[in-house]
Amino acid sequence: MLDFFTIFSKGGIVLWCFQGAGVKESFTGPVNALIRSVILQERSGSNSFTHERQSLKYKLDNEFELIFVVGFQNILTLTYVDKFIDDVQLRFRDRYKNELVQKGALMLLNNSFEFEDDFQRILREAEESSRTRSTTYMRAFQESEKSKKTVKSMIETKGGDKGKEQGGKKSKSSKKEPPAPEPAKVEKPSPPGQKTLQNGNQGLTQEEIIQKKREEFIRKHTAGPTEKPSGQRNKQTKVFPVFDCLCMPGFSFYANKHLVCLPPPPPPPPKKGGGGGGCGWVKGWVGSKSLSQEDMEPVLEKMKEHLIAKNVAAEIASQLCDSVAKKLEGKVMGTFTTVASTVKQALQDSLVQILQPKRRVDILRDVMEAQSQRRPFVITFCGVNGVGKSTNLAKISYWLIENGFTVLIAACDTFRAGAVEQLRTHQRRLNALHPPEKHGGQPVVQLYEKGYGKDAAGIAMEAIAYARNQAFDVVLVDTAGRMQDNAPLMTALAKLIAVNMPDLVLFVGEALVGNEAVDQLVKFNQALADHSMSEKPRLIDGIVLTKFDTIDDKVGAAISMTYITGQPIVFVGTGQTYNDLRSLNARAVVGALMKA
Amino acid sequence: MDERSVGGDMGGKEDAKMLENTVKQFIEYVRKQVEEQDPVFLISVVVALAAIIITCVFLKYFLTSKTVRSAVLLVGLCDSGKTLLFSRLVSGKFKRTQTSITDSSAPYKAKSDKGTTWTLIDLPGHDSLRAQYLEKFKSAARAIVFVVDSAIFQKEVRDVAEFLYVLLTDSVICRNTPTLLVACNKQDITMAKSAKLIQQQLEKEFVFLGKKGKDFEFSQLPMRVEFLECSALSNKAEEGEADIKSLEKSLAKL
Repeated sequence: MLDFFTIFSKGGIVLWCFQGAGVKESFTGPVNALIRSVILQERSGSNSFTHERQSLKYKLDNEFELIFVVGFQNILTLTYVDKFIDDVQLRFRDRYKNELVQKGALMLLNNSFEFEDDFQRILREAEESSRTRSTTYMRAFQESEKSKKTVKSMIETKGGDKGKEQGGKKSKSSKKEPPAPEPAKVEKPSPPGQKTLQNGNQGLTQEEIIQKKREEFIRKHTAGPTEKPSGQRNKQTKVFPVFDCLCMPGFSFYANKHLVCLPPPPPPPPKKGGGGGGCGWVKGWVGSKSLSQEDMEPVLEKMKEHLIAKNVAAEIASQLCDSVAKKLEGKVMGTFTTVASTVKQALQDSLVQILQPKRRVDILRDVMEAQSQRRPFVITFCGVNGVGKSTNLAKISYWLIENGFTVLIAACDTFRAGAVEQLRTHQRRLNALHPPEKHGGQPVVQLYEKGYGKDAAGIAMEAIAYARNQAFDVVLVDTAGRMQDNAPLMTALAKLIAVNMPDLVLFVGEALVGNEAVDQLVKFNQALADHSMSEKPRLIDGIVLTKFDTIDDKVGAAISMTYITGQPIVFVGTGQTYNDLRSLNARAVVGALMKA
Repeated sequence: MDERSVGGDMGGKEDAKMLENTVKQFIEYVRKQVEEQDPVFLISVVVALAAIIITCVFLKYFLTSKTVRSAVLLVGLCDSGKTLLFSRLVSGKFKRTQTSITDSSAPYKAKSDKGTTWTLIDLPGHDSLRAQYLEKFKSAARAIVFVVDSAIFQKEVRDVAEFLYVLLTDSVICRNTPTLLVACNKQDITMAKSAKLIQQQLEKEFVFLGKKGKDFEFSQLPMRVEFLECSALSNKAEEGEADIKSLEKSLAKL
């Protein structure tokens, strides 16, 4: 059933691998794609990944720096895979503990890991257990809960509550006559982690309701922090503490007449991180303490809030923190390092890694390459309204002219009033700064415009043809600003890009944007992918981050944008004059982000 | 003192005597102080002085030992064959490899008469990791082996040139001038370019990157640069010897 299973070190050496019967393709490609898309881009929060027709699941072992990857066909839904990877990991660690503890590439190269038999055994067990679990029989009526209720409790009255428990909804309840077997059912504990409001209060007296609520309150406060459901998505586990307050018993919902004195909150449960008497904290100092999820949780929460305060989009911050947690789980800390410092260092490294470009960014070299091929280098600017496309286009043309290239500006913004005139003014100014006499008689900047109201894609195509004829080096295409939700405009943009095939598609985004950045980029990319006819659609290739001088150190937008697209930030706009164009310094931005 | 005692000047004689007395008194005073003092105090002063001297010696020793460079770095673009080359050099075995996300290091004994042992360090080639690992290890580098995929070199020539340019213009590397060995890997593939061709292509690219307009040659650099061919994967795939003899010879010459 499995296509392949590999165990390899983080340094890249494969310790053991298994290839399923009948599978001919090598798994190196998919696993490399997994490493590059997920682990290196800090998306290790969820542990599965789809590559073409295969689904890959993986587990990181941070103590011995190993990675376990399993791959199977997408169409199969194998339920045992998660537990299977865990079992394999434990077995491998137990069996080769002595060798792995030595740590070092020499150990990996010299040992051969004969894991085949153990692997087959665990696989057989996993497959059998999944088969036995799937046969569940339906319950007979006598076994169900409904048979235990009385008829009277299930009667709905006007304005009253329903006979069943409602999970997570708050609605007013009214009191009813209590039938005898009620308390037995009502004391069934609510499923953990859900905000259930026990509306099954049919017919309890006021005092009994208050008593019940009191018990719930106590229970919630003693068992609260550990009641996180593991299987649910990360978003749902963010149980807002505010809601808990509103659900607290004694507030006006149920007891308007009685003033309820809440019992004093019970003492907090003893901290279990210490581990036995006084030696626990020493162990934390001396090293050889491995990090667990509980240790990192408070630090990560704080870091997440810090990032959100610095204008990183909320879901990006949470995904980043999950990814860092996965990377550090089980890792053994060095001497005299605290959990907080390890987590901070790991987060800092991840942020620097995200901001480093994944491919070479050298526009001048690419323009030279296009020059040698006798075709113009086409750059398209897109973005929402008012982010600074035209201003930054002018800055970039100034930069290109300073480096000795000739530029043609294509005015494909045929909608906004004054757009063409604005570009014409820029053209005149730039030509005044670099007069044609100094550049062999030909003006360095020219504007190609066809007025207002025409089709932008057509103008772009004509502009590129004109540039090719007149041997211009670069064509800068300015488009109209559009909201990401505006479907017809997004279609028009996608058509412009698909038809003209520019060399570089730059998304212009302002640094002031917060959570909106995620939405904008996702929808822009989606539109470009949907409306392209070819198999490999042209997506956003780079980001221009504008208005960087208006934010002091709330530089989170840079992280949000790079994380979502995976594309580098090519330019940073730091002002409104021609000289205010910079490139991104990853270390400085991360320093500003992590500063308290 | 003799002249003074010989001199018949009455005042001079008195002065001399006074001087002698004061000196004698001073010596007496010091001797008394030393004898009166607690021996423990004296010993503690001596021990403190000795500790300071020893610390100074140790510090000097440790600080100088840091600048001893004994690492050979394996760098290059992603998928150029660094990890397999690392495995071959250290143990001679073939191992399947995946994209590295951390560095690996192992001792390597050079095949020369002296048999010096270097630390061979394999750095990840992925763009987002390259910079931070290079930062970490560049000061300890005695030699850098830059691995190039000779088969797809034509497509990647600009990326290779940019990485090599960044490497050569780094301040720490310019200061230490480690030997640069450009290993043109994957020679077992038929389409692989020769080392000479790769050298010429890189020199042409450097003209663009340097923006000086003059022709560039690797011999102009202050460090020793050598281009060689190798193949980490032999013709028979997993078994068989890899063709890394020229690389081993160059490493022996370090």
